[in-house]
Amino acid sequence: MASLRLFSTNHQSLLLPSSLSHNPLTSSSPRFVKNPSRRSPIRSVLQFNRKPELAGETPRIVVITSGKGGVGKTTTTANVGLSLARYGFSVVAIDADLGLRNLDLLLGLENRVNYTCVEVINGDCRLDQALVRDKRWSNFELLCISKPRSKLPMGFGGKALEWLVDALKTRPEGSPDFIIIDCPAGIDAGFITAITPANEAILVTTPDITALRDADRVTGLLECDGIRDIKMIVNRVRTDMIKGEDMMSVLDVQEMLGLSLLGAIPEDSEVIRSTNRGFPLVLNKPPTLAGLAFEQAAWRLVEQDSMKAVMVEEEPKKRGFFSFFGG
Amino acid sequence: MASIDSLQLHSLCNVQSSIGKAKLRIPSNLVVFRRRLENLKWVQVETNRRFVCRAIGDSSTPDEDIQNTQNDNDDVVVVVGVATTESNTPSDSENSVSRFRSMITTLPPVVFVMKKCSGNSIWIGICIAASVLVAALRAYAVIKSRDNQPAGSVADLVRRGQLRSGDRRGISKSLNYEDPFNNPFVKLDKGNSTVEMCGKVYRLAPVTLTEKEQTIHQKRRSRAYQWKRPTIFLKEGDSIPPDVDPDTIRWIPANHPFATTVSDIDQDLAQTNVYQKQGVPFRIRAEHEAMQKKLEALQNEEKLNNLSIDSQNAREFQRPYKLGTKLEGENIQKNSQDNVTGNSSSEETHKT
Repeated sequence: MASLRLFSTNHQSLLLPSSLSHNPLTSSSPRFVKNPSRRSPIRSVLQFNRKPELAGETPRIVVITSGKGGVGKTTTTANVGLSLARYGFSVVAIDADLGLRNLDLLLGLENRVNYTCVEVINGDCRLDQALVRDKRWSNFELLCISKPRSKLPMGFGGKALEWLVDALKTRPEGSPDFIIIDCPAGIDAGFITAITPANEAILVTTPDITALRDADRVTGLLECDGIRDIKMIVNRVRTDMIKGEDMMSVLDVQEMLGLSLLGAIPEDSEVIRSTNRGFPLVLNKPPTLAGLAFEQAAWRLVEQDSMKAVMVEEEPKKRGFFSFFGG
Repeated sequence: MASIDSLQLHSLCNVQSSIGKAKLRIPSNLVVFRRRLENLKWVQVETNRRFVCRAIGDSSTPDEDIQNTQNDNDDVVVVVGVATTESNTPSDSENSVSRFRSMITTLPPVVFVMKKCSGNSIWIGICIAASVLVAALRAYAVIKSRDNQPAGSVADLVRRGQLRSGDRRGISKSLNYEDPFNNPFVKLDKGNSTVEMCGKVYRLAPVTLTEKEQTIHQKRRSRAYQWKRPTIFLKEGDSIPPDVDPDTIRWIPANHPFATTVSDIDQDLAQTNVYQKQGVPFRIRAEHEAMQKKLEALQNEEKLNNLSIDSQNAREFQRPYKLGTKLEGENIQKNSQDNVTGNSSSEETHKT
């Protein structure tokens, strides 16, 4: 069965045709080559038929942020984190939202959260007692930063997260491969706390102007704080609206923000069902479009790769003569 | 005669079509009909015979079919549900209709029984097929579940994640990487730049962002957003420390629901708590020690209370003392008597 393959920047073999390697915007030719006879075949190949090779130093500390609320940060954290666990990497997900905790709900672990980082700091429990291990994937653990009624002293909020990350590195079980921090919305104290220990960031946005403006602001703050490796996930993409030019395309979003693409997640009603079930989308069998997209994004995150081609506009499926008979 | 044979054909065709517009089977009686046709002497040689079988349920009614057949002078039409004859005159047609009716009145029981039986047999067949299918599915599900679950209840503990020694016991199932892209939901069209995922076809468009453009965006943002990480958090009323960059000060409102500037715990202690790997956590140990001290203090107080002599308690203490002396005196007397008897018995034993 043929599989999707996307060429990685880390690979030296350049399999993209030369016509696509140079900057197309400097030439007068349009972005989308509409003349079919001129269109050179895109040999973008997604290498998802093998286990991804971990790039960069471990642990990889990634903060998932957006600025605007409701764009899908927590959903991205849950699904990308579990995808990484399925790949065989050890993952610790930290819900850094001080007052509005949601990551445990998405993962279906809300009844198992007894201790949080506040209890660890106060000495009510050890760090390993506050970690909640997912029974579905034993190499995935959740750590919540606080309970809704407790307050975290901001004097050492960011430092506390740094201590936590450092303690995770030196724990007896070994350092996790990935530490994913779910950042709260806004650019308030919670945001500052969450981005403190991070080395890289995933910016989640939707193709609407309000989210893009906030995303641009957040990107600027991340760069001011010293985080340079910032990749973007465009969530809730509707190809039908893009085709009807009622929604910005993924490439338009990229043009506005100027960030590398980690993934483009299509709008999927299964997201709501999975949230209600406490069963992340990527675990669905058969996988949905959004689940596949999250898998692809996790794959690229592991290899520090970015998208080289995006799926645009749904074409009608060509039906052969025998399609009437079910062929 | 031909009309009679056609009526027979009609009845058989009627039965078949009434079942459910099924394929029109040609029973052996039709063969008989054909044989009879061959033996007949045709009156009109030039007549074009056109046999048309049409299922019941058409919009045309039998009466209309009769009129249509009457209009076709040169054709002999055999219609399911309606029988026709070679004759074209109205009187002859009426005779044929009457004959047809008489035929129907004689045949219904057979027809009805055949209809009933054939209808029932099909439903019986469907039920049997459904039951066989359900049984097969159940068996398959059972076999599949058996393959997934290893034997023994300890395996259930491993499966539920309560026990992690599955590798040691050799009963854990390795977490194989499930590749979702070698599944039939993802297809890449080699000829065109399209991909089919989950039944939907998408066109692939190349990403156009270059490194130069990325650099331009980074410069734009660095100019637009000047931000320094806050290092000092103050609340309303606090004074600003001297020699502090104002850009690094962050004001926290007093009524902030999730943040506070007041720390009930020392920073160093907090760091120590975070790095603690084993043993009892600090606060629990501190509480336990405090509880122990309190208990010891209470016990000491009770001892002191017990040792001190109170005037009110003095008489109470005396009574047991007096009783004790009386008893001691009696005990001494008893012991002395016992000793005397004991000694005498021992002397007697020694003598013997």
